Amino acid sequence: MSRIVVENARIIKMRNPGRDFHVMTIAPFSKIKSIKPGQFVHLKIPQCRVYFRRAFSVYDFNPENKSVDIIFRVCGRGTSVMAKLGKGDEIDILGPLGNGFRLPGKSETALLIAGGVGMPPVYLLAKKLLEKKYNPENIFFFYGANSRTELVDINHIKKLGVQAIVSTLDGSSGYKGLITGAVNKWLKSHDGKRIIYACGPEGMLQAVDNLASVNKIPGQLSLEAPMPCGVGICLGCIRPLKSGGYTRVCRDGPVYDIGEVLL
Amino acid sequence: MTPDLSLEIAGIKFNNPIMTASGTCGYGEELADIFDLSLLGGIVTKSITVQPREGHPPPRTAECESGMLNAIGLANVGVDKFIDEKLKFLEKYDTRVIVNVAGARLSEYVDICSRLNYCPRADMVELNFSCPNVEAGMEIATDAALAEKAVAEVKKVFPGPVMAKLSPNVTDITAIASACEQGGADAVSLINTLVGMTVDIETRQPRLTNNTGGLSGPAIKPVALAAVHKVYNKVRIPIVGIGGISNYRDVIEFMLCGASAVQIGTALFVEPDAPVKIIKGLKKYLSQHKLGSIKELTGQVRLHK
Repeated sequence: MSRIVVENARIIKMRNPGRDFHVMTIAPFSKIKSIKPGQFVHLKIPQCRVYFRRAFSVYDFNPENKSVDIIFRVCGRGTSVMAKLGKGDEIDILGPLGNGFRLPGKSETALLIAGGVGMPPVYLLAKKLLEKKYNPENIFFFYGANSRTELVDINHIKKLGVQAIVSTLDGSSGYKGLITGAVNKWLKSHDGKRIIYACGPEGMLQAVDNLASVNKIPGQLSLEAPMPCGVGICLGCIRPLKSGGYTRVCRDGPVYDIGEVLL
Repeated sequence: MTPDLSLEIAGIKFNNPIMTASGTCGYGEELADIFDLSLLGGIVTKSITVQPREGHPPPRTAECESGMLNAIGLANVGVDKFIDEKLKFLEKYDTRVIVNVAGARLSEYVDICSRLNYCPRADMVELNFSCPNVEAGMEIATDAALAEKAVAEVKKVFPGPVMAKLSPNVTDITAIASACEQGGADAVSLINTLVGMTVDIETRQPRLTNNTGGLSGPAIKPVALAAVHKVYNKVRIPIVGIGGISNYRDVIEFMLCGASAVQIGTALFVEPDAPVKIIKGLKKYLSQHKLGSIKELTGQVRLHK
């Protein structure tokens, strides 16, 4: 039984939640029963001159119609073509790939920290925790962006019923500054058994790694790296480990324990 | 009638002409999550060296028009761990295991191959004379006398078939192919990657830490076909064609130019199940052209006069 599936699917919905962000729904991912938060899919972009697939964290998975949601922001040749695709267009999907997050203990307070387009796997984790009957009062969802208009789907996050805390660099919504500033402020007034989950830009992950080690809070980070193959065979997406040697982000990650990878 | 995809190279039977190329399929474990490795004619392992190697620092790969550049730097687990763990995993599958061997000097090729002598499932070795990203590889790749000697030395210690993987980064690839045949090679595989470079115009730095890398993918297919064709006219030993093969049509092209079998490499990074689709396509092609055996295609290109 194959664990990883390659399937020729179609875009069944494209939604623009603001600015140059897009939510793409792809179906059917028919042989897949479930996807772990933190896992990703590798998409072959049609009508595009880029050679490799492009990797995207899974934002949502609907087991009923076997559809996968991803969020992307136009930032290069691949995503520019993707933005022009629409409902009915074919797209080849490979996955689910990577390890995914490890769920916290029921008594732990979970700090879910998302920066920019790093939000999707964190959202899926929040959703999974609620499905598993974790207390929403113990789930704190920190979401940072440059500006209010870049807090993609913030209403979806609020709708989950978790404790949402936002930050913007320009102060247009929530805490003014970096999201790690908001986290730091929160940590000063909340103690107990806490665990961190984070995905976002490199600088944010470094800051979270630092915050976690200073406050001795365990947790996991989801990393990003350009990935040629996505399945662990090309050895292109490696990152150095603190313990020496390299790790393949696509196969051994993309989720790592805080302190594991040299950031 | 089901078309016969099987063939023999140096007395070894392959279920079909599709192998996965060295360095593009690890030691098989990852691809086994995607398809049944027994579907493959053969699997060529990542290059094995005497000592484990971490490889070059990132970035090691860069996307190019119609392909990629890589400078992995022969990252591998080393021969001991390979024999103890990786080869054991592959033993479960009904496919041929071809162990790709790389060394910093001739004695290392001999050392590794003499250890593989005791591994019944190391069906064949492929000598990586042509890794463009480590210095020593290139020396044997470009020196006919040295290549001949290397093959001859390995033949003394390894009882199974020995295949030499040739570099396109030479003046005359047929001279190296002939030298390998002279040295006792049972087959040659070609081509390895072409040396290439790509630069970020903002930072003015090469996109690879190694500065240069090996170009692979559809971009190199025509170069590879011409090389296979030239070598086919020069040597009598079987040729395994490599270079940008992505679909069954590419396989047929290589076979017409003289290949007995082929290796799928970079295509696996985009279509990890490419071998499955290719094998289906080959069967269909043979049926449509009323060919009983795939062997009938080798060298059958009809050249213009």
